[in-house]
Amino acid sequence: MSTEPPSVMLSSRAAARARRGAALRRFARSYAAHRSGMAGLVILGLFALIALLAPVLFPADMLDITKTVQNETLEPPSGEFWLGTDEGGRSILAVLAWAARASLTVGVAASAISMVLGTLVGIGSGHYRGLLGSLLQRLTDWFLVIPFIPLVVVLAAVLGQRGLGTIVLVLGVTSWPGTARLVRAQTLSVEGRPYLERAKALGGSDWHQMVRHVLPNVMPLVLANTTLTVALVILSETTLAFLGLGDPYLDSWGTMLDKANGAGAASTGAWWYLLPPGICVILVVLAFTLIGRALESVLDPRLGRD
Amino acid sequence: MKVANDGTSRGNGGRRLGGHGRDATAGLAVAGLVAVAGAVGAGVAPASADETSGSDDELIFRVGVLQDIDNFNPFKGITAAAYEAWALSYDQLTGFSAEDFSPEPRLAESWEQSDDGLTWTYTIRDDAVFSDGEPLTADDVEYTFNRILDGQVEKTNYGSYVAQIDTVKATDDTTVVMTLKKPTPIMERLSVPILPEHIWSKIDDAELRDYANEPDSKPVGMIGSGPFVLEEAREGEFYRFGRNPEYWGKQPTIDGVEYRLYRNADALVQALKNGEVDFADDLDANVFAALEGEENIEARSSDYYGFNYLTFNAGAELVDGTPIGTGHPSLKDPEVRLAIHHAVDKEALVDRTLDGRGTPGTTIIPPLYPEHAEPEEPVTFDPEEANRILDEAGYTRGSDDIRTMPNGSNPLVYQLYARQNSETSQTTIEFLAGWLRDIGIDSTVETVSEGRLYEIAGEGTFDMYEWGWVVEPDPDYQLSTFTCDQFSYEVANGTIYAGLNDAFYCDPEYDRLYEQQATELDRDKRTEIAQQMQLMAYDANAYIVTEYYDYLQAWRTDRFTGFVPQPDPGGAVLFQYGIFSYLNIEPPDEGSASGSGTESSSTPMVVGGVAAAAVLVGLGAWLVVRRRNSSADVE
Repeated sequence: MSTEPPSVMLSSRAAARARRGAALRRFARSYAAHRSGMAGLVILGLFALIALLAPVLFPADMLDITKTVQNETLEPPSGEFWLGTDEGGRSILAVLAWAARASLTVGVAASAISMVLGTLVGIGSGHYRGLLGSLLQRLTDWFLVIPFIPLVVVLAAVLGQRGLGTIVLVLGVTSWPGTARLVRAQTLSVEGRPYLERAKALGGSDWHQMVRHVLPNVMPLVLANTTLTVALVILSETTLAFLGLGDPYLDSWGTMLDKANGAGAASTGAWWYLLPPGICVILVVLAFTLIGRALESVLDPRLGRD
Repeated sequence: MKVANDGTSRGNGGRRLGGHGRDATAGLAVAGLVAVAGAVGAGVAPASADETSGSDDELIFRVGVLQDIDNFNPFKGITAAAYEAWALSYDQLTGFSAEDFSPEPRLAESWEQSDDGLTWTYTIRDDAVFSDGEPLTADDVEYTFNRILDGQVEKTNYGSYVAQIDTVKATDDTTVVMTLKKPTPIMERLSVPILPEHIWSKIDDAELRDYANEPDSKPVGMIGSGPFVLEEAREGEFYRFGRNPEYWGKQPTIDGVEYRLYRNADALVQALKNGEVDFADDLDANVFAALEGEENIEARSSDYYGFNYLTFNAGAELVDGTPIGTGHPSLKDPEVRLAIHHAVDKEALVDRTLDGRGTPGTTIIPPLYPEHAEPEEPVTFDPEEANRILDEAGYTRGSDDIRTMPNGSNPLVYQLYARQNSETSQTTIEFLAGWLRDIGIDSTVETVSEGRLYEIAGEGTFDMYEWGWVVEPDPDYQLSTFTCDQFSYEVANGTIYAGLNDAFYCDPEYDRLYEQQATELDRDKRTEIAQQMQLMAYDANAYIVTEYYDYLQAWRTDRFTGFVPQPDPGGAVLFQYGIFSYLNIEPPDEGSASGSGTESSSTPMVVGGVAAAAVLVGLGAWLVVRRRNSSADVE
């Protein structure tokens, strides 16, 4: 007759699960109320789908310039090439789809680095008030006041070896200070609350306070902010590639713009080469921005609803 | 030692390097987004364009260029633009004729050699005067040559001309006698600017390295006996030359020459269309096409003496025979190099990198020169033949389809390099990687600056890369690049420097022929030897000469006529071995030479505008986000 305790455990777990489920449903409902947020989600979903399906829709051979020598270069859109061809005779549509993979990968990966760095530095500088805190704070300020683009350009030039990894690293380590400031502010506010005083009084370690109490409270904001960082990072990647600091052999939207400019697309009026990558960048940046803003206003009651 | 448009100066041993292609990353560190907007939109002229125009009654020939003059000091500069500037202001003993590059009198009215070919006597014209009023005498010639013979820095650019010269002596005001160690045909083609002794004797060896040789230098620079004098130099913006009233020849019609620097070919083409410049030099094929059929503009595609090539690391060594570098052992095998040559589709390269404005390459002396040798059976584009050769030589494919050495070790994975500032280079290497894959060879590609690539070449830490040469009328220098003693060398502190031989091709028979041609005075016999040498290197597949590119220039016909091509016909009209066009152009007879026919199609502006707008919208979106962020920051 000792079956009761497990069932109690189960029910408490179930209760927690139910509570979380309800919270998630509530969150989904209030997010769904943001029409712009939903629009962002749909656009992003579409691009994610294109990026995932690129290898199926457009075989890798379509990107190999040695396999496209029979095609005309800079050909306007036609039945065969819906978006025309580039200076290597490749279908711009195919390149665009493959470039989505690079651009999204860079955006997400660099933002992940930026999120981790920003959260660490932010919570650290908010929690430790002494020397360490102010050191971290100065570090954040230092990164904030250095003009972003020149810093990125110099870093990319110094690291030399071009490739996806380098770009991710460069953008990751330069785009975190905004997140750090945000997290620090939230940390300060959370640490002022009575339950943290209680945790301190009960002898909770710094680690315990930061991980069990502060982190869960700043996490929603961090996520919302990261979504916005992705937009910034994708835009920066485009800029870098356009300035010739990307990997010339990796197709991304920025590389496409750079190559279009180099191929004289502006002089010769080859709009089909310049516009598609530009529009894709705008759409994806817009999508991330819309999602980020919707998340913010759902998670932060003070920002209200639109 | 001229470097074409996208070359950078080489640190060591003047190497005449070219390699056509657009400057892919002009001005890396320029404020990023401003550059984005500017570059995407229509061409932006230099801010100083208007203030630099001479007064209205002066006839200034305005030339838009993409390459800067790196240094006015003739012992330091290396770019083609610098050579052009020296040609305007300085004279040489002999010149190259516009018709066919044959030697013709300049400062030397006549010259003769002794029967044994070891003594050369030049008669210097007596009416040559430097632009500061001092007469030019045989003493100045003696001074210039002795300075090079005794100097070290001085030899960088001119060492190859004086290699056989023993002594130089002015016997009177108009006679210079040179004695040689061995007879050499180069004595009729001494491309050395004659400098004024009264200026340069004030500059010692230590000062020479930093002497800018500009009008505001001390002592005053650019004093020469040529038809033009440098009046004002603003680095990266413009260079203005006036007429030299003391010039001994017929005075040119134009009152001056102004070089204006543009950041990219697109901007330069717009400037030409708007009439901001009269001449646009070294254009890219794609923007060049947009100029054809334009009213009042002549677009000229000229035969040129530059070629692009792919090189192999066929066993990097120091001159003393010490192996260096990390080259793949398979490339020492001529069969592998031949197979790769078969895998390269040069027609496709000409089509894709030059927009068809060039011809597939074969040997290292371009077809423009009479010394060019054309192989009887050129290596054809034939991937199947390439695979067959590799199969037969025992390089079998592994399970991953990548070939290995005949003993089963060392998969054929090559390290390829492309030049960062040249799109042609990057596209060529992208093609090469694809073709190599088709014949079972894998590769990794890296894009590096030309300075870095020069080090990599010297250290032999590559398998293949792309670069280019600009070849002089005399074949000696170019032929010397494949000699054994042009391998890399090590200096006392252990640093390794590159020689000219970046293929590490060495054949004693080739070297023997090189010595023979250097002292062969019979022109036909020398040509025969030079051709034999080219074919030897071709058959050994030392280089794959990918393409001989055309030189693309355009000018406003409503401003100037009378340009002189070199060689005639078919050659380039500026940036030649001579200054024929500057001396002969004049305004067109009829019609007003207003030069303000603003004829630009609106499409590029619209496209550029839309693209710029797109970038701005993206920026705007991001800025909104930033604002939201910072408002959220304030807790």
